Formats: sequence, C-alpha cells, structure tokens
Amino acid sequence: MVSMRHLEMHELLGLRDGEETARGRAHLEYCESCRRELERLYRMQAELRALPAFTPPRDLWPRIAELEARRRRRRRWWAVGSAGLAAAALAGFLVLGGDAAREADEGGVDGWVAEATSQDLGPFIERSRELETLLRTYTPQYQVYDAPTALAVSALEDRIWVLDRMLSEGRQTGAERVVLRQLWDERVATLETLVGIQLGETRPVSGPQAVWR
Amino acid sequence: MNPDAFGLESALVSRARTGDEEALEAVFHAYRTQVYNLGRRICGNEEDAEDVLQDTFLEVCRSINRFRGDGSLWGWVRRVAASKAFMLLRRERIRSGRTVSGDGLSPDAFGVAPREPTGPIDLEAALSRLSPVTRAVLWLHDVEGYTHEEIGELMEKTASFSKSQLSRAHRRLREWLG
Repeated sequence: MVSMRHLEMHELLGLRDGEETARGRAHLEYCESCRRELERLYRMQAELRALPAFTPPRDLWPRIAELEARRRRRRRWWAVGSAGLAAAALAGFLVLGGDAAREADEGGVDGWVAEATSQDLGPFIERSRELETLLRTYTPQYQVYDAPTALAVSALEDRIWVLDRMLSEGRQTGAERVVLRQLWDERVATLETLVGIQLGETRPVSGPQAVWR
Repeated sequence: MNPDAFGLESALVSRARTGDEEALEAVFHAYRTQVYNLGRRICGNEEDAEDVLQDTFLEVCRSINRFRGDGSLWGWVRRVAASKAFMLLRRERIRSGRTVSGDGLSPDAFGVAPREPTGPIDLEAALSRLSPVTRAVLWLHDVEGYTHEEIGELMEKTASFSKSQLSRAHRRLREWLG
C-alpha cells in the first residue's frame, strides 16, 4: 500500500539528486503536491546556478606575488642561515643566520669570538642563539599562514635580515659598541616576537597588514 | 582564460611547479573569479572573500608542486579555496565566541536566528539570511556539485550533517521565497 504521507524535504532532495527510494517514487506517482515540490527544487537549483558571479573588486595578484616573493626570500635566508649554522657549530661558538653567519664562514671568526664572549654583547648573542634554535625546532617546513600572520612573519624576518646586514656593516666599519648593542637588542626582541607567533603565543594585531588594507 | 578549455593546463602546471611567476599569475587570473565567488558565497562578505582569494593563491603558489595532476587543476584549486573559507569561518566564529561546540562550524552556534523577512525577498537576500554553514552546504552541493561525503570531509563533519543542512537550507528558502 502506498503511503499517504507527503515526502519530507530530505526525501525530495534525494529524489532530485538521484537517490530514489521506492516509497518516494511510488508516492510521486499520485501526489501532485509533492511533484510540484520536486519541480520547485529543480528550479531552485537552476536559479542558484544562474546567479551572477561576484567579481573581485581589485587585482590581488601584486599583493600575492609580493607575499610569495617574501616567502621565497625567507626560505633562502633560512637555508643560508642553516649553512652558516653548521659551520658555526663546527667552530664551536655561535649560531647565527644570514650575513652574520656568512661572515663567520668567510674568516671573521676572531671578531665573532670576541663579541660572543664580551660582557656587553655576549648575552644578546647567546639569547639570539637560543631563539634561533627554538625557531628551527618549532617552525614547520610547510606551515601556511593566514594573510595577516604571513605578513607579520615576513616583516619580522625581513627586519632580522636588515639587522644582520647592519651588524655586519657595523662590525666592518668599527661602529661604536653602543650601536652594536642596540642592534643586537632589537634582533633579540624581533626574534622573540617571531618565536611567539610560531608557537601561537602572539597574534599579529596591527602593523604589517595595515600596509595592505 | 580557462586553461582547461584550451588544453593548456598541464603545460601551465609544469611551469608553475618550477615557480615560474608568469605561470602562477596565469593560474590566478584563470580562477580568481571562481575562487572569489566561492569565498563570497561561503563567507557572505567581500572582505572575507578577498582573504579567501589571497590565502588560496598563497597556498597554490606554495603547494602546486604537490598537485599530482590526477584531477583538474580547478578541482584542486577549488578544494583549497573551500578549505580556506571554512578555516576562516571557524576562526571568526571561535574568535567571536559564537560557538558552543568548539569546532566553529555548528549551525546553531551562530548567535541569533536569521531574521524573518517582513516582505517579499529575492534569492540573493534569502541566501544572505541563511547561516554561513547552511549556505555553504547549499552552495557546495547544489551549485558546485560536491557530494555530501565530500562536504562532510571538508567540514570535518559527516555526510549526514551535510544532508541535514541541505534540507534545512531548502526548507528556509521555501519558507521565504514560496
């Protein structure tokens, strides 16, 4: 005997999508109301598919390309840093990235040892070493950030890269110790922020993304 | 440009995998409208849709060398986009505290129930009144052609959850649009 109960929405949708049930098909045979409802669902699907597409209000490619370029630059930076790390570890004193590590490789060892063991710069250098070790331990190779976080991480890593260049130049040109100390201080603070983001303790709230918005 | 239609897809992907910026830009321009539209339909606003578009193509740039090529490029890009949109929804809902389950994708956890329209409304207005999760399921299933199993997997829910959301969506639309 055919059920007189009208079909539920999920049954009608099943029929529309080809998941027929014997009861549903049999019910449709004599129920005009459910046939109309099924036709309405077909029409609704057609109307949904015919809705005009939203188009992006502006070209985001330049922004995406810039972010991607930064990511690649970071990867190169870290790769170079890792090479420097190995050499420095063999030398038995420092763990540094970027230009600083390259300089150590290129023969600036005496200068580095003097700085790393000095009372004024030594603690900053040691702290940098600890933070970089943390970063290398906790940064997943394929981490994908949301846009604000990616921007914040990029800006911080770029700043570290700039600080390393300034430290390198400062050392070569005989900059005052107080200047070197300020640079190391900022390097440690920047690394601490970066570590905070990587470990999920710090959420970027302002700054870099404002450049893009 | 639609690379699928011109048979250029494999050549484009090969170039994009090497990091060729022109190829990546071509992929972006080929699919940006579809991705933006998907983000807009799921998240419901322009700003989030732009975030989905950006996050999707950052991921595409980063991961295209992991695209195996056993499906269409658009299918892969669309999956990335849907995943990013749901991630955004989860984050927003959890951040705003409007969730009780903790996963950010519970349809009843979106604060107040949709306002009942006071007069006749069109389909766009009706869509905007659906909860994001219900609207997302409706769009992915009825327009994008996802199966309930695929939607369940994307949302870290079950196929039954997707089916019940689709029914809910159509009951609402029926109620509002007649």
